[in-house]
Amino acid sequence: MRWRFYLHFGLWFTLFAVLIWISAPIVGSAIVENRIGAAETNRSIDSYLRGLTGIENGSEKLPDAFRHLGKEGRLIVFVLNENAQSEFLGMMIGYISWPREVQIIKVSGPTVDKELADIKPSTVAGVVFCSVSPPAWLGHRVRLGSSIVLVPVTEAAP
Amino acid sequence: MIAVGLVAALVTIFLAGFGIAIWIFARADRINLIECACLAWLFGCGTISLLLWFCGMFCSGLFLQAIVTVACLLFAVLGWRAKRNANARFDLPKPANITEWILASLIAIEIAVLIFTSFKHTLGWDGLLNWELKARYAFLNDGTIPAAYYSSDGRAFSHPEYPLGIPFTELWLYLWMGEPNQFWVKIIFPLFYAACAPLLALLVSRLSGKRWIGLLSAALLPFVPSISASPGGVVVGYVDVPLGVFYLAALGYLLLWFKASDSRFLVVFAACSALLPWIKSEGIILWLVIVLLGFVLGLAKRRLGQFVLSLAPGAILILAWRIYLRLVHLSPHSDFVRPSFGALRDNIGRLGDIFGILFAELSEAVHWSIFWLLAAVALIYLFASRKLERIALASAVIIPILLYSVIYVFSTWSSYSAHMTSSIPRLLLHVMPVGWLAIGLALSQAKRETQTL
Repeated sequence: MRWRFYLHFGLWFTLFAVLIWISAPIVGSAIVENRIGAAETNRSIDSYLRGLTGIENGSEKLPDAFRHLGKEGRLIVFVLNENAQSEFLGMMIGYISWPREVQIIKVSGPTVDKELADIKPSTVAGVVFCSVSPPAWLGHRVRLGSSIVLVPVTEAAP
Repeated sequence: MIAVGLVAALVTIFLAGFGIAIWIFARADRINLIECACLAWLFGCGTISLLLWFCGMFCSGLFLQAIVTVACLLFAVLGWRAKRNANARFDLPKPANITEWILASLIAIEIAVLIFTSFKHTLGWDGLLNWELKARYAFLNDGTIPAAYYSSDGRAFSHPEYPLGIPFTELWLYLWMGEPNQFWVKIIFPLFYAACAPLLALLVSRLSGKRWIGLLSAALLPFVPSISASPGGVVVGYVDVPLGVFYLAALGYLLLWFKASDSRFLVVFAACSALLPWIKSEGIILWLVIVLLGFVLGLAKRRLGQFVLSLAPGAILILAWRIYLRLVHLSPHSDFVRPSFGALRDNIGRLGDIFGILFAELSEAVHWSIFWLLAAVALIYLFASRKLERIALASAVIIPILLYSVIYVFSTWSSYSAHMTSSIPRLLLHVMPVGWLAIGLALSQAKRETQTL
């Protein structure tokens, strides 16, 4: 029947029109935003580190800082529990510090004295604080950008 | 040199896949070039990643790269010889009228725009830490994942137990480029889209008998914001879109086999469904769904034996990956407790929340526009048709969504709703291309026409 034919295509083309009407501005802005930029090797890592800590060429600078800790010993990384930015930074540290062993510790409170006291210095090369404030008694801090603090292990033990 | 390496990597992937696709279709009179090109990318990525994984257990470095390259060329030669022996000829289907020309041109433009857009974005969180990380570590270790990675508790965040389909495709590009280049590696993901759109057009056309409806479905595909503008889409380097493409191909060729009784379609189904668990762990759920549907279709067709045989590659791959994880002393990590009646009884009260979150996500215009409304209307059409293959297609949309939702009953997160909210948008992407297949068939109504592609 002809009216069913018109109803059928009328329904579908109305739905398609509404789909495009709603989608076009969303998809359009996704296409327009950002620029292509340079085809850098570590483009994603650098971009995240720049955005979160302000460090330029973080994929080179951070591993370089970790190399100064010596070859042995793992990195302890403190991140704020249920803080997406801090946890992501901790994972980025874990990523770029390969092949060094890492241990990511999530902390809920503002202090990490108890967690630091549990660390055995003989197996640890350094402690990294991602958006977490190191205890006041910790000296020789190496600030890496706005949100990361590195403390070589000899300084980390209370 | 990077550009040359990138081209070489892509060509070898394509050659391996093209060889396999030609080999499958060699005995047809005509080999559809567009179909072969789409399948070439899927088969190529699967073949390369499996070869790197398997050969990487015995060799590494340049030797590994050389062996895999020779294997790729061998696949291409074997496919070409099979085509020549069978006297098959290539066929490039051309649009038949102005409407088809406009829609086909639109699809080509959309593919180009998505490739361009992909390079404007960085890899997303999961794209970087769950997938690219493995490719980089393997690259730094001469092409194999270092054993220390699997035993590294501190890197459990990167899910070492996840399958290597996409990471090892990325690795292949790294090996040829000579560096783990995070800019160029993103080419992989829009190429999956470039395989998906024409394949969707082709499958809808064949199943409905109307080419323009196939082309229209494919042209509308990028208007679902999740594919291009939201977390999990093509531009951020997640594996959810590739998994959706494999699911579409596996289901589409299963339905074609049911419709046309051509065993070549079942071979394509076997290959595409086998690769589902190799792309993402959730692929096992999709594989199980498709096995169930195939079982019903095989029974109705009285060709159950043939169908069961086609499940062998998938079953072998799932088993092989389990054995490998055991060998590297990794147990599949899970955010879920083992499903049991006890756990179900304890958490059954979550179901109300879970379906509330699901409904909220399905109606989230920023992610989906009104795509799921279209899909729902399509499902009504398909069920109303009372045709087994159409009901199977509708089930292939509904069952994974239900399973993906109900599984949160067993979530171990302190907030299961946060768990679901963070992951369900990406899981729905797996089903989205199949949703378009359903929409295409619903639009075509139930009239039977001759196959045009």
